[in-house]
Amino acid sequence: MKRKSDKFWYGLFTLPLVFVFTTVVLIPFIIGIGYSFFSWDGLPLNPKVFVGVDNFIKLFSDTRFLSSAGHTIFFTLLAIIIINVLGLTFALIVTTKLKVRNLARTMLFMPYLIGGLILGYIWKFIFSDAFANIGEQTGLTNFFFNWLLDYDYALVALVVVATWQMAGYIMIIYIAGIQGIPEDVIEAAAVDGAGFFNTLFRIKFPLIMPSFTICLFLTLSNCFKIFDVNLSLTGGGPNNATEMFAMNIYNEIFQLNNYGYGQAKAIIFFIVVASVTLVQVSITKKKEVSM
Amino acid sequence: MNKIKKFLLNLLAVLVCALYLFPIYIVIVNSFKNRAELYEDMLALPSKFSFEFYEKAMKKMEFLKAFGNSFIVTGISILCIVILAAMTAWMLVRVDNMFSRILFMTFVATMLIPFQTLMMPLMQVMGWIRDTLHIPMIDTLGGLIYMNIGFGASMAVFLYHGFIKSIPVSLEEAATIDGCNKFQTFFKIVFPMLKPTTVTVIILDVIWIWNDYLLPSLVISQKNLRTIPLSTASFFGQFTIQWNLAMAGLTLTIIPVIIFYLLAQKHIIKGVAAGAVK
Amino acid sequence: MKLKKVISLFVVTSMVAAMALTGCGKKEETKPEVETSTEVEGADEAETTEPEKEMAKKIVVFQSKVEISDQLEALAEAYEEETGVEVEVWGTTGDDYPQQIKTKLSNNQGPTVFSLQPGAEVEQLKAYVADLSDLSFVGDIAEGMAPQADGKVVGVPYTVEGFGLVYNKSLIDPAKVNNYDAFANMLKEMKAKSINGFSLSQEAYFLIGHILNTPFALQADPAGFLAKLNAGEVKMADTPEFQEFGKFMEAIRENTNNPLEVNYDKETGDFATGKSASIHQGNWSYGMFKDYDVDFEMGMMGLPLNGNDKIAVSVPTAWFVNSQASEAEINAGKAFLEWLYTSETGTKYLMEEFGFIPVVKGMESPQLDPLSQEVAKYAAEGKTISWPMTNWPAGIVDVYLVPVAEQFFTTDMTGAEFLAALDEAWVQANK
Repeated sequence: MKRKSDKFWYGLFTLPLVFVFTTVVLIPFIIGIGYSFFSWDGLPLNPKVFVGVDNFIKLFSDTRFLSSAGHTIFFTLLAIIIINVLGLTFALIVTTKLKVRNLARTMLFMPYLIGGLILGYIWKFIFSDAFANIGEQTGLTNFFFNWLLDYDYALVALVVVATWQMAGYIMIIYIAGIQGIPEDVIEAAAVDGAGFFNTLFRIKFPLIMPSFTICLFLTLSNCFKIFDVNLSLTGGGPNNATEMFAMNIYNEIFQLNNYGYGQAKAIIFFIVVASVTLVQVSITKKKEVSM
Repeated sequence: MNKIKKFLLNLLAVLVCALYLFPIYIVIVNSFKNRAELYEDMLALPSKFSFEFYEKAMKKMEFLKAFGNSFIVTGISILCIVILAAMTAWMLVRVDNMFSRILFMTFVATMLIPFQTLMMPLMQVMGWIRDTLHIPMIDTLGGLIYMNIGFGASMAVFLYHGFIKSIPVSLEEAATIDGCNKFQTFFKIVFPMLKPTTVTVIILDVIWIWNDYLLPSLVISQKNLRTIPLSTASFFGQFTIQWNLAMAGLTLTIIPVIIFYLLAQKHIIKGVAAGAVK
Repeated sequence: MKLKKVISLFVVTSMVAAMALTGCGKKEETKPEVETSTEVEGADEAETTEPEKEMAKKIVVFQSKVEISDQLEALAEAYEEETGVEVEVWGTTGDDYPQQIKTKLSNNQGPTVFSLQPGAEVEQLKAYVADLSDLSFVGDIAEGMAPQADGKVVGVPYTVEGFGLVYNKSLIDPAKVNNYDAFANMLKEMKAKSINGFSLSQEAYFLIGHILNTPFALQADPAGFLAKLNAGEVKMADTPEFQEFGKFMEAIRENTNNPLEVNYDKETGDFATGKSASIHQGNWSYGMFKDYDVDFEMGMMGLPLNGNDKIAVSVPTAWFVNSQASEAEINAGKAFLEWLYTSETGTKYLMEEFGFIPVVKGMESPQLDPLSQEVAKYAAEGKTISWPMTNWPAGIVDVYLVPVAEQFFTTDMTGAEFLAALDEAWVQANK
């Protein structure tokens, strides 16, 4: 009797969301897996040819895809570190007793609201005109030049813009974590004579471990899927030096009309990334301190 | 001495923020310039602060109607996401069995699927629902809301899942002993304690849904159902982009979100203060 | 057992909830059944035998040209006033239109009348476009300008557009810039005067698509050449017009601003303020000058590749009718186009409000902007070359040609190496 009612409540609480989620995300994803075995352009009235695992075999010799995967991994690692360090720093600053903390909080979160073409337009201007100008004025032309046209720096430029966009977003989650630390714990530490860094590393960090898990994962998933910034800032250039994985798939599906092949790429990448992240999530989860 | 230090610290913080906001300055000043002026100098203040581009942008966007649609879509979607995801996450944490773990991992893993690969099959599924079950999922606000809930589910469950674990079970057990059923326990005891997370989820989802372009562009065709991002799309022609209208439109789009954030962030602090009593 | 009941209960309740939710938008769903396409195939044969044509009371128009969207709304009202048929214009989506229209068509939520770019795009969507050869004015469309699929006319052109060198008449005399040497000299002279002689810009078509069209169009048989190129039977690197093109590109890279640093706004701004003597653009760019006080006259000339003096003129966009719509809707869509191109009000809108250059015999446009006048003049004199680029493999410009052009403009690869890289891009795109 008890068990049955438990199941009833379990169903009542989880089923509505699971149902919506299944119809909107899972079923389309499974259909997508099905299409990855076809050579097809995505239009129902056009021929759909079953090619088995050919698409999957093909992508391992697709150097452009492989190098876009390489860029994505490099970009993601770099961006995760910088975004989280900066986001956490911001969060620590705006949760102090600083007078301007509320203003700062709002201002830092605003960049996330600018996306798409406008973002690309503005940052292109900053990198080409503003940087060139500063370079001329200061003579530091080794650093201040148009990063977007340089094979190595273009990817770094992308990291800069992604950081600018996402640090404030990540900050919001860290803030929630930091605010969740009970005042008395901090006070107790202060009474015991713990200094700033001691409090930070011994008390605050262990207690906001759940926020770390969440933020690391969110930056990871956002960076792996990065598209808008990529498209509007560099368009993958110069000469594909910054073409990321999502853009490669997008081009395959919507520009070149290779729908099945694009799906195959997406699935392989998904499997790789999902296994990496699930490992990451389970590692950081173990480090969380239960209250 | 201490006062001066404090002042300097504040000043420094403001300066860092200002530098950080430099691109936003560019958006705002250029929303007042015509093409020739913008070409002349992108950084300079406009020659006159006339709101003609704002008026024109508002008119072309049918701002009030678009605002209303965006408001409905964002509001209802988030309401559903918050309640449903909190309920689901709570069960997934408290009933720790194989099924829960698999379900949780499924939610988390799907956050890694690029939306571009789901677009076509999603619209096919929705088309099928419309044609065979006669539920108009396409070209309706309701359909858009439904899909937002599906796409928002993962992150919300993920966030709630993390925070619920840090809530002591003892309170819930006490409630059960007092004769509350799960439903009452959840809404009277658990959900209020989740407030800081709820506010975080709301803030993150407001930003996402309010600014989302790709999904609405697939679902909504009719002009009078357009959300705000859809209504600014006509400023971006294939060749000619009307930057002043686009930037004015962007400013109009983000002002409501900023106001919302200002209101919401107080609640984070309040919520935490209330939570700390436990 | 109870669990099963609960599950089914929930499936039902969430369905009901979904229905309740979707209800908010439903009142707008008065659109006739565009969606019921699958059964149309059987039905339309039966219907065509009926003497009177069934006509829908409402059509939906979806099109890509943002510049005419306001005027189109006005036109829709005029049409309803004259004929009683309602025209719903869907909001223009700007630069992601091709993706939008494909998703909508593949989902049976397609509009009645829509626009496409003639060429590869129409070829891909040919199952979705209705035969328009029975429209009365089809015979009057300028030769070769009506898009066809499987030998039937399926599209009605909007207008013609032309591109080439848009030049400043006070700085350049087209009669003197008529071959490679003259062009290269002009660039050097301008450079000495601190003027940019010629400019491309960073956007895909403005960077490489349009300019590469020229050597293709100058082939004796452009379509045949393209077919051979796709089949790998010829190489650009071995073709004289392309070798000359390589030289042009080298001269451009050496003597002008790096186009990757220049966007469309800056390109046109530099031209309008006299900092650039010429830009590689089309008549569409005239709208970009309206905020400037342009104090010189501008004209258009061909890129003088192998002495070429023609500009590239063709149809950028055309109207199509959705073959998957119901018979009644297809008829209503055709009637709309018939009205647009033959009635007094319709043609007035095309010529005066949209500012189109006539493509159908008997139409005249009284008020063209200066660049469109140039295009019309070149067209009247027959001094035009075609747009083979519309038949290039789908997506090649954005995905394969742009990276090569970026490489060319950021390194010192030679013109010959550039051509070899373009050939390689062609191989990739056809894989």
